[in-house]
Amino acid sequence: MKPKENIVVIGGGIAGLEAAGQLLKLGYNPIVIEKQDHLGGHVAEWNRLFPDMTPASEVVKRLIDQSSEANIFLNTEILFINRLKDRYNVMLSNGISIIARILLFTTGFRLFDASKKEEYGYGVYDQVITNRDLEHWFNNGNDKRIDASGMKAVGFVHCVGSRDEKARNPQCSKVCCITAIKQAIEVKQKFPEAMVYCFYMDLRMFGKKYEDFYISAQRDYGIRFIRGRVSEVSENIDGKVIVKAEDTLAGKPVKVTLDLLVLMSGIVCNPDSAKITGMIELPLDTDGFLKSRDNVADITASPKEGVFYAGSCTGPKTVPETLAEARSAALEIHSYLKEK
Amino acid sequence: MRERFLTGYNDFVLPFLIGMVFILTYCAIGLIKIILQLPKEDRKRFFISLVNPKMIWKNIKDIFCKCLLHVDIWKRNKLLGYMHSSIAFGWFMLIVIGHIEVFLYVPHRAKLLYFPIFFRYFVAETDSTLGGNFLFFMMDFFLLVILSGILLAMVKRLRSRFFGMRRTTNLSFLDYIGLYSLWCIFPLRLLAEGFTADISGGSFLTKSLNHVFTAFLGNHTNMLPTWWAYSIALGVFFIVLPFTRYMHIPAEILLIPLRNAGIRITNARKGLAKAQVYSCPSCGLCIDACPMGVMKTHIKDTTVYLNRQIRRNNERRIEEISDKCLLCGKCSAICPVGVEGDKLRIAQRSIRKYGISPDYSSVNTDALIAENSFSAPSGSKVLYFAGCMTALTPKIRKSMEKVFVSAGVEYEMMDKDGGICCGRPMLMAGRVHEADEMIAKNMEIIKASGAGTLVLSCPICYKIFKEKYHLEMEVLHHTEYLDRLLKSGKIKVAHCGKRFAYHDPCELGRGCGIYDEPRAVISFAGELVEAEKHHKESICCGGSLGSLTLGFEKREAMVRNALGNLSTGSPDVIVTACPLCKSTFDRYSDKPVEDIAETIANNLTTSTKTL
Repeated sequence: MKPKENIVVIGGGIAGLEAAGQLLKLGYNPIVIEKQDHLGGHVAEWNRLFPDMTPASEVVKRLIDQSSEANIFLNTEILFINRLKDRYNVMLSNGISIIARILLFTTGFRLFDASKKEEYGYGVYDQVITNRDLEHWFNNGNDKRIDASGMKAVGFVHCVGSRDEKARNPQCSKVCCITAIKQAIEVKQKFPEAMVYCFYMDLRMFGKKYEDFYISAQRDYGIRFIRGRVSEVSENIDGKVIVKAEDTLAGKPVKVTLDLLVLMSGIVCNPDSAKITGMIELPLDTDGFLKSRDNVADITASPKEGVFYAGSCTGPKTVPETLAEARSAALEIHSYLKEK
Repeated sequence: MRERFLTGYNDFVLPFLIGMVFILTYCAIGLIKIILQLPKEDRKRFFISLVNPKMIWKNIKDIFCKCLLHVDIWKRNKLLGYMHSSIAFGWFMLIVIGHIEVFLYVPHRAKLLYFPIFFRYFVAETDSTLGGNFLFFMMDFFLLVILSGILLAMVKRLRSRFFGMRRTTNLSFLDYIGLYSLWCIFPLRLLAEGFTADISGGSFLTKSLNHVFTAFLGNHTNMLPTWWAYSIALGVFFIVLPFTRYMHIPAEILLIPLRNAGIRITNARKGLAKAQVYSCPSCGLCIDACPMGVMKTHIKDTTVYLNRQIRRNNERRIEEISDKCLLCGKCSAICPVGVEGDKLRIAQRSIRKYGISPDYSSVNTDALIAENSFSAPSGSKVLYFAGCMTALTPKIRKSMEKVFVSAGVEYEMMDKDGGICCGRPMLMAGRVHEADEMIAKNMEIIKASGAGTLVLSCPICYKIFKEKYHLEMEVLHHTEYLDRLLKSGKIKVAHCGKRFAYHDPCELGRGCGIYDEPRAVISFAGELVEAEKHHKESICCGGSLGSLTLGFEKREAMVRNALGNLSTGSPDVIVTACPLCKSTFDRYSDKPVEDIAETIANNLTTSTKTL
């Protein structure tokens, strides 16, 4: 019997796991390389997912189960990749080297470092956290910055380091609008007495049931939506944060005092993927993410032979989009190998 | 020495004479025009300065050092300095010695404008004297000096790098005519004097040349055409001079006393502005200095081209160039003739017409006055004005508060909960009236506070507070204030062992001349490493709000270039003293970037209980 074909999957997030599961079913031997000590990437750190409030852990668990037969290397990085005649030699930090015809990049994204927007006070004031910090707190209830006892007002700032030329990321991160609404609802559920504000530029409710979510946030939870960017955040003597923004619908400046401010950090390309693509000279697109062969018809293929992409390494994506793309990439790889 | 011609005249002097009369008339009219264009008080001030003995001496000294010796260019690059002073000073000496010769030998011809210039055509040497030989030697010597300068000028046109210039200006058509006629004048003079050297006498250069000529030309029939050519070259040069960059030669002689009299630009095109524009020699030193120069597309937006467009009245380009500039002031700092590129641009912006003019005079300051007033006014109390930019970098404000607490001073944070802009951004946009309104409002608040010292964190604010606010209290930038606290021992910091590269912010360094205090402050906390270009040569961070039209994508290359300059000493941390520089660098730097206040606050050793 012919040995199973090796397929190197770079990144053990949801895209990598889903693709590995599908490749197993198609009769290949996927090898998942994960830098961190756990699988599931960003989703594993999240609490619940929109629009049905599915626990993130369930999604990750299902993906891990489905790919359990794959070779998985945790805490492993790629040292270098060599191009051989028609295959790649991948050298790993644990001393193993793999020869494979196919590389699948599922390197994902990184959240924008909110401390780079110093005017929003992340890392300066204790009452300022990010969307990720809030999910952590939902998961383990442990964050010194969040004082659950006297929560009277909470604010969410949309588009932090996203659609922001000053922050060097003019792209829309796509999922933060709906994430902010989801988190705002969750905060309101935990602190029914608190006023919850969302400071937004415009709301991009493009996905299934998103609009319902938004309507419900206003109607059922009384969340206040203020259209306008936050200009600066400061602190008062009582240890509360003061947010200054412009209400562009009312046409005047607003000043709100808050107990907690959540910054919706945007999505930027994972700097690690840029490092790895440098090894085999894969191009980056103008938005800083990996460049597909064709952004309309061939999003999962790279311009290089045998290199494929799945998930948010090519741009911000939702969980269902990422999973669909991982399946599509697996199928693409299958037909590519069949033709060879 | 005797005269060869009774008339003392030959037709070949005509081109020179026409040129000379033209240029003298032109300059006289220009001079009167510029002086009439000055505002009344400025004109009075200027005339008084002209009769003040101290100023007379200063003017003469400056004109001699700048226009003839080009001391500033020598400091910049020896070869470039030699090139300029050899031509300017050499020519000046030829004129002086030429006149001495005329006064000594044919004093009755001294009233003829052309006689000293063509002296050797009109005279014949009768006996050789020591004095005569010495004068002839000096004439030949300075001619040689000029010729060496001309040779260098030719090399510079081909390889400006040898002269420390990466780029130089693209000349206009008339500039080329002026350049070539200037290049021709002295070789032609050598040729002409060479032909007559056996009659009129000469020295090592002209005499030797004469021997060569007589060896194969044999007679004097070629004499007259060369004198004609020499005169035509002079004539052409003088006629095109007002329309070329060489207008800087007479204009600078006017600019120096104007500047020494303390006159400032008040009109975008007239008076001092005009004198500056015409004083621009198009040398192009500002091209290399301009931070926008990292991108080839902006080369034509430098000060030298602004001056050219103002001379041509090309309104579209004047507006474009004026609006694009970051107003970092580096071109003004390095300009050898003292054209103030930044102020000239602000003046151009100030004549723009706007549809809407915001009104700040009706802003009510009562609440702000109440918030910021000390209950018992005293000279020891400190009012801190963070400014709009510091509001966007709250770490600086927090650090300063920590320092105030640690030093145990009584302080008030003036704009912690909103305040009024200092007015400098409006002033930079050329909107003087609006800026004045803001200044008036802020003065109301500050005067009512009862503080003895005003501390500012933003150099943009600091500059306007120093120049336009009239406050009866001390105004300090936080670098000065920190320096004072550290030197007096009111606060103490631990030496953290890190290497700090200090970035001189434009408005603080070139703008206000503060270079030493921040360096002293940093040296308390760690090791100071200098960037490749520092002090007045420091490169703008690229974030300046001086530019009205430059977008972020255009600024990126400038920020990276400035960061590269700061990284030459491989520092651990980049330190600056301006919130805008800090946030600009922070976006692109892979090294940590902090404000000097953070550096000090992070390394304080005295107890800081309350914060």
